[in-house]
Amino acid sequence: MSTSDRTAESQPPPSAAPAPSSSPRFAAASLPICLATAALFLVSLIFEPDSVRHSALLGMLPFAAVLAIAAMGQTLVVQQGGIDLSVPAMISLTIVLLTSYPNGDSGKLLPAIVIALAATLAAGAISGVIVSVIGVTPIVATLGMNAVLYGVVIQVSAGNPPPTTSALAKFASGKLLGIPNSVIIAVVLTALAALIIKRTVVGRRFEAVGSGLLGARAAGLRARRYQLATYIVAAALYCIAGILLAGIVHSPSAFQGDSYLLPSVAAVVLGGTSLLGGRGSVVATAVAALFISQLDQFVLVMGANQGVQNLVDAGALAVGLAIYSVPWRRLRRNVRRPSPGGTRRLEQSAEPGLPGL
Amino acid sequence: MQCKAKALVSSLLALGIVVAVAACGSSSSNNSGGSSSAAAATSSSGGSSSAAAASSNGPAWCGSKKITFALADGFGDNNWRKITTGEARDEAAQCKNVTKFIYTDGQGNTQKAISDIHGLAAQGVNAAVVFPDAGQAVLPAIRDAFHAGVVTVPYRVFPGGKAGTDYDYYISTQFQQAGALWGKWLDTALHCKGNVINLGGPPANSQSLAEYQGLKQAIASCPGIHIIGQTPYYVTNWDPAQTQKVVTAVLAKYPKIDAITTDFGAALASAFSAFSQANRKIPAIATEDSNQLSCDQKKLGFKLFTVDSQNWMVRTAVDFAVAKATGGQVPSSTVVPQKAFEDSVSGKPHPVECVPSLPSDAILSSHLTHTQLKQALGE
Repeated sequence: MSTSDRTAESQPPPSAAPAPSSSPRFAAASLPICLATAALFLVSLIFEPDSVRHSALLGMLPFAAVLAIAAMGQTLVVQQGGIDLSVPAMISLTIVLLTSYPNGDSGKLLPAIVIALAATLAAGAISGVIVSVIGVTPIVATLGMNAVLYGVVIQVSAGNPPPTTSALAKFASGKLLGIPNSVIIAVVLTALAALIIKRTVVGRRFEAVGSGLLGARAAGLRARRYQLATYIVAAALYCIAGILLAGIVHSPSAFQGDSYLLPSVAAVVLGGTSLLGGRGSVVATAVAALFISQLDQFVLVMGANQGVQNLVDAGALAVGLAIYSVPWRRLRRNVRRPSPGGTRRLEQSAEPGLPGL
Repeated sequence: MQCKAKALVSSLLALGIVVAVAACGSSSSNNSGGSSSAAAATSSSGGSSSAAAASSNGPAWCGSKKITFALADGFGDNNWRKITTGEARDEAAQCKNVTKFIYTDGQGNTQKAISDIHGLAAQGVNAAVVFPDAGQAVLPAIRDAFHAGVVTVPYRVFPGGKAGTDYDYYISTQFQQAGALWGKWLDTALHCKGNVINLGGPPANSQSLAEYQGLKQAIASCPGIHIIGQTPYYVTNWDPAQTQKVVTAVLAKYPKIDAITTDFGAALASAFSAFSQANRKIPAIATEDSNQLSCDQKKLGFKLFTVDSQNWMVRTAVDFAVAKATGGQVPSSTVVPQKAFEDSVSGKPHPVECVPSLPSDAILSSHLTHTQLKQALGE
């Protein structure tokens, strides 16, 4: 073999560019909320140690897991530039199907789960078609779907579903190595979603479509399919959240999902995902769900009344929005070096954006 | 061209969804008296003021004029409301001159509740019992129906206004009495010593507030009993999940809880897993009755006291409305008293009753038979 061949072989092919490493970006996206959550637990430990006691955590974590899974579905939809207002009805429908169909008979639980999945996936597909194919605004499409599904909820349950089956209750309250099953499921789903979005071609294309629909189409991506699939995957996540919630709350009401709409959006916002679409982090959303749940628990144990609890929730959301929305670097630069009169150079955004689009 | 086609498709789709929802919807049902005749055959002798001198048409409050009757509910979709509606149908069925029974459900929407009442007046119903969940917001609609000649009887929630001017009669109950009954029982059951947690519904709810006032007054005679935690009550919105979160928090904060008082016992029963998670015994409970709670008491053995859930209170309202409209004998008292129902300690007036064959959300203090209860709950 000649020297020139060896040299040619050792050169990398000119067309290949090093794959963008998503690890630093992934870590950067989750960092603020992870720090905030760690700080919250520290504050809880110092000022209200009862709120982080073993039994209190065992009570809070399952609800945090349900919120994390529901908020992950919301994150996917928001990353596509939409918002999903059908979260309450999807969760409520799952719960009433899982309680009304078995009616206490644990043997009928598995068919009930299949029925619930089929119903929510179908609803998600319809929402997806209305948004991606027909072009109706997501806020309107999902609001309508929410109303239709609530009609089904009342039809199935007559407004008062029976208590949950003992098998589901046992599973939801069960633990593996001391960790509640619902938490394990939430962690596994989060890891899976994060891996798929950040490390697979499908996931990267999904983010590309969310970042810029026209650009993605111009690049040859089938944007409509990604949008449609987003609503279906989100519906599956809401269904899983509903299944867990039906086990955690032994006698759920027919409208149990009502309290998950705003917190799911809050978790998305606090996790740093832009409501305008584009990049986001399901890990950050899941951590934000934990933050919200612990914040509520902390305020409750502190003994504050409902008004204070609402103010604290609103305050946390405002701070979270401010951290991600206010252009702090630009403000700092303008404060240190106020621009002289005349034309100003257009400054590049601090965010790198997706390559190639 | 593509945009026009998209607009056409989306309009057709929206129309299709609306038609489908209208076809499947069941918010207001128009039932004739015939559907409740089966219930009438097996009706219990309940009714808070059935007078002695029954005519050939039925009880004394059933006069000779033929009328149509309506029950305008503010929110129909829970077990308490369904059983109450069953009681109203059963009571109205006792009077042969009630030829039609119409039920409307405001679905928790004030605007719908208002339009339901207007709709009933427009249809020309002769008597209407109204559950004014939205309070004073529905007073104008009630007043309009009253002035249109409908015998209008709001009950249980005060809509404002004045009987005789804005509506015919207001049938009321004193929720303070419920709290007082709880407090009196706690004095004995706790031997005048212990910590009590009080759970309530939505913030600033008048029923929960009144119950707290009654409870506070009743335990004043026992200085060793303290209401701890948030006063007047922990907000649970009567939601089982929120109740579970609140119970988890109070168990974490307070090592010694001797009793819990709440106006929604079924939600508390749903949260019992929180006690086993915290390795704590279920304390004494004072609340309104619920089959599930009673069955749990039989299994778990905690001290339980319940007040009557008063589903039958609607029967008094029906008696007043039908009497005025048919020319029958109008009952004397518009105030319905709170009553004790079960006491696991003394067994009076009833021991704890659990009926496993009935749904867990059945309410046994109701005056319906077991068959009627199952029917009302849609079994």
